[in-house]
Amino acid sequence: MTSSKDKFDFGFDQVSAPEKTEKVTRVFERVSSRYDVMNDVMSFGIHRLWKKWFVESLPLHQNGVYLDVAGGTGDIAASLSNRLTRFGIQAQILVCDINPAMIAVGQKKFPHLTWACGSAESLPFPDHSVDVITIAFGLRNVTHRDKALAEFYRVLKPGGKMACLEFSQPARPLQKLYDLYSFHIIPKMGEVIAQDREAYQYLSESIRTFLTREELLALMKSVGFTRTKYDTFTGGVVALHTGYKL
Amino acid sequence: MKKNGAVSLNPRLFEMLVCPLTKGPLQYDKDTQELISLHAKLAYPIRDGVPIMLVDEARPLEEGEV
Repeated sequence: MTSSKDKFDFGFDQVSAPEKTEKVTRVFERVSSRYDVMNDVMSFGIHRLWKKWFVESLPLHQNGVYLDVAGGTGDIAASLSNRLTRFGIQAQILVCDINPAMIAVGQKKFPHLTWACGSAESLPFPDHSVDVITIAFGLRNVTHRDKALAEFYRVLKPGGKMACLEFSQPARPLQKLYDLYSFHIIPKMGEVIAQDREAYQYLSESIRTFLTREELLALMKSVGFTRTKYDTFTGGVVALHTGYKL
Repeated sequence: MKKNGAVSLNPRLFEMLVCPLTKGPLQYDKDTQELISLHAKLAYPIRDGVPIMLVDEARPLEEGEV
C-alpha cells in the first residue's frame, strides 16, 4: 500500500502522488498542440517506426475490443484502426486518456475514433471486457504504475493480451551519445519548437528514472500477468513488454 | 448534435462504461449530459461527446438526486 508520505519521481524530482499527477497533467496540457510535431523532430521520425512495430505485434480479433490507455492524440489507435480495416476486421477501438487537452487534439485529427477521458489507475471499463489493451509511451507518466497494471489485468478478458511500449535503457555503447542528446539537445528543441524547455526536460528525466526492463516485467507478474516477456528496439532505446491474462 | 452544440455520447461507448470508482453501472442523463453513478453518488460530465470519467471532475449528487 502507498501512503501520502510516499514519494514519486517527477523527472529527477521527488514529489507526492497528487503532485506528480498534477504536474504530469500540466505538462501534457502545455504540449498538446505541439505534441505530434515534437515527437517527429525529437526522434527523427523514428517514433513512427516504433509505433508501427508495436501495432503490428498486436493480435487481430474479429469483433474484438481494443483499448489504448494513455492514448493521447490517438496515433496508436488510428494506426490500429487502419490495420484492422486492411484485413477486413470489425472491432471496437477505444482511446482512453486522462488529459482532455490531448483528447481534444486527437478528436480533430481522428474523429472516427471513440474517446473517453479516464485514469489508467482507475479505468471506467468493466472486468473481463477487453481483448487487447495497449499503452505506448504512457506508463512512465502514470503515478501508481502497479495500480495501472492491475487495472489492465482486471479489464482484460481471460486470454487477453497487454502490450506496453515504453522508453527503456539503451545498450552501453549508445549511452553517452543518448545522454548528450537527452539532456542537452531535447530540452533545447522543446524550448525552440514548443516554447517549453521544462516539459521536455521532464521527458528526458522521466525516461532516465523509469523502471528497468526486468523491474517492469516483475511488476507485471506481481499483478497476475503470465507469459510475460519483452523485446527491444533501436539498441534498447525502447522496449515492448507483453503479458497475458490466462 | 444537440441544440447547445454539444455532441451526444456514442451509444456503443456508453455500453462499455462503468463508474471508475465502484465499477458499477451508470445512467445517462441526456438533459444534463452526465453519467450518473448511484453507488458512488457522483455525476460524471460529458464534454464535447467525451465522457470525463475522473472522480476529481465529477459532481457529487445531492440528497434528492439519489
